[in-house]
Amino acid sequence: MDRKNTSPQGETARVLVEFLEVAITSIVFLKGFYPSEAFERRRYMNVVVHRARHPQLSGYIHSVTAGLLPFVQKGLVERVNVIFYDNEHVPVEKFIFKIIVNQSYNSKVEENDLEFALRAFLIKLTIAEPLTKPLPSGSSWEVTAYFRALPQDSSNKEARMWVPTDTKQWLQPPDITPIKSMSSEPLKVQLYLEHPNPSEPKNLGV
Amino acid sequence: MNSRSSSRAASNGPAFPSFSAPSGDSRKRSRNPPTTNPQRPLRSKTKAPFADFRSYMVEKNRKLRAQFQADATTSSLGAGSGHADSGDEKGIFHGVSIFVDGLTIPSSQELRGYMLKHGGRFENYFSKHTVTHIICGNLPDSKMRNLRAFSHGLPVVRPQWVLDCLAANRLLSCAPYQLGGLVNGTCKQQKLSTYFHHQGISSCNDARTTVNHDVKIDVDPKQLVLPPEGQCFRCDGPSGQASEELECMKVEKLYGEINANPESTDLEVKFSVPPASGVIPTPLSMINKSYMGHQKIHESLDSSVNCIGASNQVHSTLTDPNFVENYFKSSRLHFIGTWRNRYRKRFSNLLTGYKSSNEKTNCCVAKHKASIIHVDMDCFFVSVIIRNFPDLVDKPVAVCHSNNPRGTAEISSANYVARNYGVKAGTFVRDAKACCPHLVILPYDFEAYEEVAEQFYSILHKHCSKVQALSCDEAFLDVTGCDDDPEEIASMIRKEIEDTTRCTASAGIAGNLLLAYLATRSAKPNGQRFIPSEKVEDYLKDLPVMALPGIGYATYEKLKSRQIQTCGQMYMIPKEALQKDFGIRIGDMLWNYCRGIDNRTVEVVQERKSVGAEVNWGIRFNNLTDCHHFLVNLCKEVSLRLQGCGLQGRAITLKVKKRKKGAAKPLKFMGCGDCESVSRSITVPVATDNVVALQRIAKQIFASFHVDVKEVRGIGLHMTKLESSDISRKGHVDNALESWLSSSTVDTGKKSEQITCADKQCDNGGLPLPNGEPQSRCIYGSNQQDLGKSKSLCDSDTGYNCLPDKDARCCRSYEMRASALPRLCDLDIDVVKDLPRDIVLEMDDIYEGELSDLIRKSEKKGSRSSSCSSSVSLPNEDTNVIDGYIASGHVDSPELDLGAKDKGKLPVRETLNPKTVDPCRSKNPNKKAQVSVLENVKSVERTCLKIQSHNSCSRLNELHITSTMGPQQLMPASLSQADASVLEQLPEDVKADICGFLPVHRKIKVCKDVPFGFDVPNSVKHSSPWYTKSYLWLGSPPFWVEKFKISNSYFLNAIAMLYAESGKDILLSSILQSITPLLSSVSESSCEEYDEALHSLHEVISQYIVLKIGSDVEELYNCFCFLKRFSTVSKLLLRVYNSTLPLFQASMSEIYGGKLRLSVIREKPGEE
Repeated sequence: MDRKNTSPQGETARVLVEFLEVAITSIVFLKGFYPSEAFERRRYMNVVVHRARHPQLSGYIHSVTAGLLPFVQKGLVERVNVIFYDNEHVPVEKFIFKIIVNQSYNSKVEENDLEFALRAFLIKLTIAEPLTKPLPSGSSWEVTAYFRALPQDSSNKEARMWVPTDTKQWLQPPDITPIKSMSSEPLKVQLYLEHPNPSEPKNLGV
Repeated sequence: MNSRSSSRAASNGPAFPSFSAPSGDSRKRSRNPPTTNPQRPLRSKTKAPFADFRSYMVEKNRKLRAQFQADATTSSLGAGSGHADSGDEKGIFHGVSIFVDGLTIPSSQELRGYMLKHGGRFENYFSKHTVTHIICGNLPDSKMRNLRAFSHGLPVVRPQWVLDCLAANRLLSCAPYQLGGLVNGTCKQQKLSTYFHHQGISSCNDARTTVNHDVKIDVDPKQLVLPPEGQCFRCDGPSGQASEELECMKVEKLYGEINANPESTDLEVKFSVPPASGVIPTPLSMINKSYMGHQKIHESLDSSVNCIGASNQVHSTLTDPNFVENYFKSSRLHFIGTWRNRYRKRFSNLLTGYKSSNEKTNCCVAKHKASIIHVDMDCFFVSVIIRNFPDLVDKPVAVCHSNNPRGTAEISSANYVARNYGVKAGTFVRDAKACCPHLVILPYDFEAYEEVAEQFYSILHKHCSKVQALSCDEAFLDVTGCDDDPEEIASMIRKEIEDTTRCTASAGIAGNLLLAYLATRSAKPNGQRFIPSEKVEDYLKDLPVMALPGIGYATYEKLKSRQIQTCGQMYMIPKEALQKDFGIRIGDMLWNYCRGIDNRTVEVVQERKSVGAEVNWGIRFNNLTDCHHFLVNLCKEVSLRLQGCGLQGRAITLKVKKRKKGAAKPLKFMGCGDCESVSRSITVPVATDNVVALQRIAKQIFASFHVDVKEVRGIGLHMTKLESSDISRKGHVDNALESWLSSSTVDTGKKSEQITCADKQCDNGGLPLPNGEPQSRCIYGSNQQDLGKSKSLCDSDTGYNCLPDKDARCCRSYEMRASALPRLCDLDIDVVKDLPRDIVLEMDDIYEGELSDLIRKSEKKGSRSSSCSSSVSLPNEDTNVIDGYIASGHVDSPELDLGAKDKGKLPVRETLNPKTVDPCRSKNPNKKAQVSVLENVKSVERTCLKIQSHNSCSRLNELHITSTMGPQQLMPASLSQADASVLEQLPEDVKADICGFLPVHRKIKVCKDVPFGFDVPNSVKHSSPWYTKSYLWLGSPPFWVEKFKISNSYFLNAIAMLYAESGKDILLSSILQSITPLLSSVSESSCEEYDEALHSLHEVISQYIVLKIGSDVEELYNCFCFLKRFSTVSKLLLRVYNSTLPLFQASMSEIYGGKLRLSVIREKPGEE
């Protein structure tokens, strides 16, 4: 991480991206997507979290979150979704981080406050399991990010890492289960769950 | 791995379909589905006589017994008709109950007659509970082979026994009459009869004086002089102790289970003391008493029974024993181990008296040649027992807790006759039996040991002032400087010991401890030997190294591998070589010992280094609970021992023996087998003997081992770094938290503060408030830090928290309990709030609920006096505290979050709460008003619909909507006041509804004296629409708080108070959490107030949604969850919920493109 980046947004983005990496891993662990042996216990922000031991898995999560950094900093990232699909690649559950970074915030970032607020997410995540639904067999997962606007300079190497998603959409508005919200200037993060509406047609006419 | 590992970015947020009013969301929830289980009335069992065979038999037996009883009274004894020869009012067979099996001579009827005449009983049907003897002439082979199954452990006796008893006119042992077949029973016979000989004395003597009274026997497992081996005295032959087996089996079962509750095994057996007819109790006369076996006899009538009886009584009254206790009760090693304490107590005056004379004698050492006497009782554990059995003196006898000839109990001591057979201490009984088949095995008699040991030491102390107790039967005397010849002293002592205790002792006299010790060994048994200094070398030359103290198997094997067998050989080895091979200390020791050098002196008082308890036998756990239970008991034991010694320890070591991988079944029954030991210790800052602390630490250490509890074979807990409890008590004042705290507290509440802190601390550690016990607190190393922290908080703002003016009531309550509790205002609320909620509740209980008041008040962080909280009903405050706690944002522990989510729990409490009146049930007298309120709610819904339907409209429109729903009431008083443009755009049905409802509203308006509504502040009125939509939440405190405060509704006042007290950044959900106690007041309020409250709450929450929807859905969600929860008890909140939920859902779908899983709650029909 670029330590020299000392703008409040940069600082915030750094913390947030790091947090997202941990949180996404926690979510994947929480869902039991991989055997629990694939994770090891670690302490992050003084909370026991899990870290992927498999280099590919941790690499994926790291690259995704690290790839978000410049966009988070610019306030372009609206949501980061961790989506779990069934075997037909229809989303069955989405963990959504809704992120708002106040671009006009200029004072110094209280990193402690920020971490304190973010830590609550991790704690809450560890006990969020009952809120989630069991995964069907043959499921997969991925991380998608919703941008507020397309990255301006698409020549940018970082921007090119992101490809448009072809994630199927639900036809009905989903059910939302809020998990945690925080607000610590300049950052506002909300985590909630989305499940398909019970009236959602099972097979999207595929 | 994820195949789609490329991250994807959507160019835009997906277009969410816009949503119409969530009319489809009104999924009706049918709460409390009418699943009335038609309770089938239990078919009443008519108690027909003899409903089944069992009751028939019970009845029949009862009748037979009654008949028998009637016969008995008429026949002989009861009528006092004779049997003067028996000298026994109750007959010789009193307590005997026979069952006759098969053909007998004399016939069963004759036997019955005998029983009838002589106080016995005759059972027609066998039951192992009522029958004591089975009488039969012969048995079929199958029964013979499986005698136990047949007899149920009862003696199977030939009928001749009855006749012989009659002839002898006393109850003879049935042993010789037992139905034979197994030969080895005979040797057993003798053993067991002698076995309980000593026990018989008291009771038999007693029998002579007060003949034939009932003897109550408490079969109390703690009393059993039987180690937990559990296989005590299993008789395999048809010996006379078959009945014992029954008891033994029970006991065995008991011990087999570690957590057995021995209370259940308390048996009461009644039997008659045989008419001893003045004969010295012979083994035979005792045999029926041996039935009680190893159990102590407690005779309540016998005042002549000496200390044995007395101490038994103490034991028998003890209840709730457990394995650990039993184990140590019956452990010889434990007896020896703890003996020293008793010794020290007993001879404390002599021991301390010695101190002064120490210097003198030390001077003497220089002049005189040192002479040490080592006195050792000869096979102490055996000889103490057999002194009462003179006939056993020349027979091989061993002491062991179990007499099972095939058992793996270890013999603890054997007499010299037995030793000649090769029976040694530590031999398994079965091996001992193999090499000495007629070995007599006796159980321990700890009381006797205690007594003899005391006599022994009394004698030693009489003759010598410098006595070093090695064990209960072994001591060093330093007779240096005594005028008499050491040898003479020794023989005097020995003689006196023999006279007093009827046991012999041997003595060794030499120049130092080592040689005296060795001399005793060669002097044994019953002798003494003096090794003069010039003969030391000769003596040692051929002495096997194994004989030296301090040389065990390991060292011996090492020495053997170096061809060193005797001290003479070792003498040749240079010191350096020994040190190299065996380490400096042992090498030194060996070098010295083989030269007869021993620099130790006789030390009278030996410092105790550790206190502990260890159990390596019978440890089998099924699960962690078992194990914890055991640990708890072990800690109790250790704690008791510490307290017994007046010591406290700082280092706690837990040792766990776990089965080695692949270790075979232990050789010894329930033994530990091949084990590996792990141990770990924890040092606590302040010495403790507190059992709770020990338990906590023990469990902690145990958990850190991560061993499978099933593999655990032994557990030991030891305390080291001992301090005298007096010292540690004193030391505590200097360094303990309490004193530290007290120094920082200035006012008069000092003491009470300390106590509270102590209480808090105790609570943290789970201590049951050991109020005045300073040492108990300091265990909590970790807790201490926390407390330190919280306390420092507390110190920093004590001034602020002292609000004496605020709480007259608090102070009053304080005065009532002034001695124990600090004043409420002295409590640091920040600390209190951080405490776990159950503790807060407990404290709240102590303060009679005022604490929770204070907590809420403190959240205000101001000094306003409040009136509202006084209305809060007490029991509700519990939930209040919980809620408040959850709400206050301390989400450090997941548990709390769960609590917040756990909607199921709290409402239960609330509904159970008698003070929370369900407003739905309280009928409003004004039915019309009720109806109108309902209508009102509906209209509110409509208004929300309106808002939603206009979500896509221009800003201007939105402003319109808010102005309709905001400043005035939810519905305009008449259609004329409604915004025409809005109405225009409404769907037809909605429009119709509104029109339909309006007249009702007008009526409400009429009956309202004070029209209620918010006045939009001018500053806000013309600012941006967004602010207008949430103007109630502007400012600090928000605008609505002031509005609520001046409102007519008591409920709203209270909410405003809640907010004011809670501090400025409090979330609405937190306030909602704490309104539970206020709910009852809502129902009592008038209809206007009700309306006002409904409108205002709707308004505030609607604006809250607008305010928070973008940033904190969680908070909104929580609010709605609370509303939903309260909706069961408050119709007001139900309506508020129902009226605001559509807005919430609509906002959710607008911003988040989804809906929450909340639905409109249908009001209970028929309630209004």
